[in-house]
Amino acid sequence: MEELANFAHLAAGIGAAITLLGAGFGIGMIGKSAMDATARQPEASGDIRTSMIISAGLIEGATFFALAICIILAFK
Amino acid sequence: MSRLARFLFLLVLFTTLSTDSVRAAESDGEDNTIDILDKLSNHYYLDFKPFAKVELPRILLTDSGVLFFSSTTSAINSDSGLIDLHYLDNEVRFKGNGLIEPVTYKLVHADGRHVKMDLSVSSHLVWMWVAGFLTIFLFARLNKRYRAGIGRTSEPKGSFQNIFESLVIFIRDDIALANIGKDKYMKFTPYLLSVFFLILFMNLFGLAPWGVTPTADVSVTVVLALCTFFITQFNGTKDYWKHVLAMPGVPKFMLVIITPVEILGLFTKPFALCVRLFANMAAGKMLIYSIIGLIFLFADMFGTYVGLGSSVIWISFNLFIYALKLFAAFLQAYIFTMFSALFIGMAVEDHSHHGEAAHVIHESH
Repeated sequence: MEELANFAHLAAGIGAAITLLGAGFGIGMIGKSAMDATARQPEASGDIRTSMIISAGLIEGATFFALAICIILAFK
Repeated sequence: MSRLARFLFLLVLFTTLSTDSVRAAESDGEDNTIDILDKLSNHYYLDFKPFAKVELPRILLTDSGVLFFSSTTSAINSDSGLIDLHYLDNEVRFKGNGLIEPVTYKLVHADGRHVKMDLSVSSHLVWMWVAGFLTIFLFARLNKRYRAGIGRTSEPKGSFQNIFESLVIFIRDDIALANIGKDKYMKFTPYLLSVFFLILFMNLFGLAPWGVTPTADVSVTVVLALCTFFITQFNGTKDYWKHVLAMPGVPKFMLVIITPVEILGLFTKPFALCVRLFANMAAGKMLIYSIIGLIFLFADMFGTYVGLGSSVIWISFNLFIYALKLFAAFLQAYIFTMFSALFIGMAVEDHSHHGEAAHVIHESH
C-alpha cells in the first residue's frame, strides 16, 4: 500500500509533465498563427488578439482539469 | 556598480559551497514546515503575522438555535457546550483558569456531534466584502464626477478618473459591444463591469501583504460562474433554446446525440469558467510558496549557508513569478468577463437574419 502511494506521486509528476507538454504546444501553435496573421494584416491585430486569448483560455481550461487530477493524485 | 554586484553574488555563492556541511540546528521539522494548502484555505481569523491575529465572528446553527459569538475564543469559553475539534480528539479540556485558545477553529459539540450549519464569517468572505465595497465606492465616486460634468463636457481630471475611464471604456467597447452586439450590450455592461472589478480586486488582494485571495477559493468562483449562468439562461432568446433543444437543419435521428451534448454544454461552460479562475489563482499562490519552500529544502539538504545563498536565486525567481501574477490578476479578470460576455452574447443573439444561411450550410454537409 505504501509503495502504491509512491506510484501515485510518480503518476502525478508524469501527468503534469504531459499536460504541460500538450498545453504548451497548443498555446504555442495559437501564438504562432496569431503572429503570422498579425504580420500579414496588422490592421486586424485587435480582433486577432481577442480570438487568440479566447482559444488560449479554452485550452487552458482543459489543461486545468488534467492538472486538478494530478494535484488530487499528489495529495492523496 | 554591476561589477560590485557580481562580486557579491560570487562571494555568496562560494561561501555557501564551501560550508555545505553545516546543518540546520532545529531539524525536527514539525513546527517549521510551511503548510501550502493551509495558506490557500479559508480561515476563521485574519492573520497579521508578527503583530496580531484577529478572530472573526462565528454564526452557528446548532440544536439550540442560532448562536452568535464575536470570536472563536469566546465561543469556546462560553457555556454553549461548543469546543474546538482539537480538544475533542486529545480528550484534554481545561476550564477555569484563563481562556482556552482555539487550535483548529473547527467547532463541535462537547459530545462530538457536529453543528448543524456553520455560517461563520471567514477570511475569504471578509476580503470579498472589502473588494465589493471598494468596487461600490469606486463607481460611486466616478458617478459623482460624471454627474458633475467632469469627463463629459470637459476632459477627465486626475490619474484616478483617467485610469478607470480607460478600463471602463475598454470593457464597454471591446468586451460588451464586441461580443453581445450593439442592440443589447448596454443591458449587460453593468454586470460585466462589476464582475470585472470585483474579480480584479480579489485577485490583487492576494499580492498585498497579509492579504488572501478569495478567488483561490472554489466556492467564490462557483458563485461568480453561477451568476453568469443564470444571466445567460434567463436572457436566452427563443432561437437560443431552439438551438439547444432541437438544432435546426439536423437530421432527426442525430438529435438523439446532439441535444444531450448541447444540454451538457450549458453546464460545462460555467464550470470551465469557475475552474479556470480558481485554478489560476490557486496555482499562482502555490507556486510562490513552493519556491519559498525551496530555500528551506536546500537548507535542509545542503546546510544552512547553501539555503541562505540560494535564497538570492529563489527570491529573484519569486519576484518574476510575482510580476507574472500581477499580470495574471488582470488577465484572469479580463478572461472571466470576456467569456461571460461571449456566453451572454450567444444566448441573446437574434438568428432571424442569417438563420436561413445557417440552414443551407447545415444541409450542404
